Amino acid sequence: MINWTRLIGAALLGLAGLAAHASNNIDLSTAPERAAVQLTIYNSEDLTLVRERRVMSFTRGDNQLQFSWANTLIDPTSVEIRFPRQGSQVSLVDTTFSHQRKDVLVWNINSEIAGEVETEISYFTSGLTWSADYTLIANQAETAADLDGFIRVHNNSGERYEDAQVRVVVGQINLVEKIAALARVPVKQVPKLEERQVGRLRKEALRGSIMSMMSNVDANEAPAAPKEVIKEGLSEYFIYTVEGTETIPNGWSKRLRSFDANNVPLKLHYRLRPREYGKDLVRLYSLANDEPSGLGTTPLPNGKLMVFRRDSRDGLDVVARKSIKYVPVGDKLDVNLGPDPDVVLEQAVLAVKHEDLWLKLSRANTFKRVGDGTLVVDRNARIAGWNERLTVRHRIKNFTSKPIRVEMRFARGGDITVVSELAASQHDFRTMQVEADVAAGGVEDLLYEFIVRKGRNKKQERLEIVRGRVAPPVY
Amino acid sequence: MKRARWLSALGLIASIAVSDIALARIKLITLPARERVEIKLESPAGTLVEEERLVPLVRGSNQIDFSWANSQIDPGSLVFQIEAENGAAQVLSVSYPPNENALVWHVSASEAGPARVRISYLLAQLKQTFNYRATADRDERLLDFSQYVRLRNDAPETFGDSGIWLGRDQRIERPIEGQQTREVLVRRWPRIPVEKTYTADLARFGWDDTKKQTLKIAMHYVLRNDRQSGLGERALPYGKARIYQDDGRGGNAFLGEDWGQRTSTGDKMALYLGQSRDVVVKRTVLSNRRERIEGNLHNQHIVLRYRIENFKDEAVALKLREDLRSLASRFGVRAANGAVWELGPETSFPGRPDPELTDAGSVVMTAPLASAPDGGDAAVNFDLHIVFKNNW
Repeated sequence: MINWTRLIGAALLGLAGLAAHASNNIDLSTAPERAAVQLTIYNSEDLTLVRERRVMSFTRGDNQLQFSWANTLIDPTSVEIRFPRQGSQVSLVDTTFSHQRKDVLVWNINSEIAGEVETEISYFTSGLTWSADYTLIANQAETAADLDGFIRVHNNSGERYEDAQVRVVVGQINLVEKIAALARVPVKQVPKLEERQVGRLRKEALRGSIMSMMSNVDANEAPAAPKEVIKEGLSEYFIYTVEGTETIPNGWSKRLRSFDANNVPLKLHYRLRPREYGKDLVRLYSLANDEPSGLGTTPLPNGKLMVFRRDSRDGLDVVARKSIKYVPVGDKLDVNLGPDPDVVLEQAVLAVKHEDLWLKLSRANTFKRVGDGTLVVDRNARIAGWNERLTVRHRIKNFTSKPIRVEMRFARGGDITVVSELAASQHDFRTMQVEADVAAGGVEDLLYEFIVRKGRNKKQERLEIVRGRVAPPVY
Repeated sequence: MKRARWLSALGLIASIAVSDIALARIKLITLPARERVEIKLESPAGTLVEEERLVPLVRGSNQIDFSWANSQIDPGSLVFQIEAENGAAQVLSVSYPPNENALVWHVSASEAGPARVRISYLLAQLKQTFNYRATADRDERLLDFSQYVRLRNDAPETFGDSGIWLGRDQRIERPIEGQQTREVLVRRWPRIPVEKTYTADLARFGWDDTKKQTLKIAMHYVLRNDRQSGLGERALPYGKARIYQDDGRGGNAFLGEDWGQRTSTGDKMALYLGQSRDVVVKRTVLSNRRERIEGNLHNQHIVLRYRIENFKDEAVALKLREDLRSLASRFGVRAANGAVWELGPETSFPGRPDPELTDAGSVVMTAPLASAPDGGDAAVNFDLHIVFKNNW
């Protein structure tokens, strides 16, 4: 059984001045009640900042506090104590780690107060994580959707957190060492850790400004309405704070609704983008994480997305299970639903021709164009440059009952001119983009000619697009 | 506080006065029965089960446990919708206990009374497969076509009178017992038109006899999934098709079986029947010559001869496909992006290449074959002259 971190006021009852406290086998101690606890969980790293407050009774002069964390995943380098209200009268003299006992430290504290002092103890632990997940339910026409976002907190820390305020941090932090690894550092080695290393760890993990947010820990009763998840932007991060407090036993997970947006405009379309989606034409739902769409209050963290579509009887059809990447406010969420068996793309090279053939004659640096009418007797002449003119057809068959829009990108290396009647555009120096509308139940043939310059005809790496008519070949 | 949980393999339990979900997995329970179950099998993402139950709620806080012992439910797929008959009810949170296939919904109700809950989830152990039975008439022009679905439930859960969705708009009502497979006739289409095709394609079907240079001749039944054929209501799913023919004596002869590919409405399904023995095609390379142009530039002329015998007592249109990349490779012609080719004057087929099936990589010709003459020589020759242009 893993115990809650134990805080023992070993010096409070006249035991002050016990220098060798850790070696004493006979101690008299008190265990003050925890007034509040706050968990700040980072999903980008296995890291949780725990901050707890307790009211303790000190004697004037030297006091010793023993803090132990057996069988938990606490990083011993991160444990800190503060006295937020009486900091000018109570000070931490030093911290000692016993070499005889595991997972224990003792704070030597000097107090000018004889009486109650509010203490705040913070530390990093691992084993507490959170994840985001979403449920998207498109309407039957696939023109709008309801999007629900959830956060789910997983507690595998070995500790039971009771009535804790839960905050989760959206964003990428930098850590130089994993908290779980530090939790395994023997306590006697903690003082040997380089001060710089520990300091940098703390600094990078919390970035100061987030630390300043950790205050006002409440222990309110849970309301009967769904708890609001309050989102606050801070530097490069977002902090989601769950209203009230939560009890999360060890081994359990808890899922809370983060937001819900109804009737979010949805665009259904098809794309061929081999670099992003592979070789197949795929179906996508696209929606915008912005205010006009009823979203846009926070970024959408990485997470799992379940996609459904309403059926004609108010039930659901399952469409896809996907993982989505972080979507900043104002950006688009493109959900790749995979290939649609009712929309088929057939690509065919209908014909190939060779043009503009050049022979290299036996004489140095002498070339002759094939078919130019001049007579040169040179049986050792060799082809040195040529163009390949490929007639390419993309046939899109739409077997669905809706008209569809298809966007396709083709990348091709070389010195290439593309001739097409279509409104093709250049995506980058080697990629062409074409859009086409295909009627319900219709077939659309898109014809292009690729003139590929080879050998000495190739002058540069480029793809240029020329508007022109392309006729299908006659065999 | 009231607590509920589904029991059985997929269970719901109601329990009361339990304040701590972490410690107290001891419950006082009610067992709300399923009011309705809909099972949707058509999505490649998985089988979706939707069930509705009436759950009694107390005013205030309620817990509803859902457990699925021995059933492979994807917990990430669960969608819970609740509608109270009196007042309002809403989900506050969901808790997942360790080492259990279970979860607990925390539900708040403004009034006591029943609430209708609809739970949707993906269940891995419930699958459908399709199969077909096709019986051709004596002339092989019409087909009696039947579609069957086989429902396989490997979960221990029994779904009573369930609505089973085989496709987006195709619903049947059947109970499915736990650990049971049930086959159901979905639809029968009598006398739909079918086309029997004969195809010679060395690259795809290979040689029948390499030494004699005879080709395998593949036979297919091709049916169209469209309204004109009496089909076309919805896509035909992938499945095994067993093919029979009316034997004229009141029985059927088994012709073979094939996997029917998923066929969208408007598309064609081709079922492979096997190899024809009554149409024999011998393919020889009649000539291979080089025509120099300039320097090392030349055209390569290849003439293929097909000697065809039709031993059937009816005329047949044979499709002949030549893979031009293979042919080019065989004779050392470059054809990386497709061959630069044209038909030469020695071609003796009566028509031009099939424009729908011909491209830079292949040419498809049609050879019309008359029925076998009584005792006469049934052989005809067709030549295909391919000119691979501008090679070096």
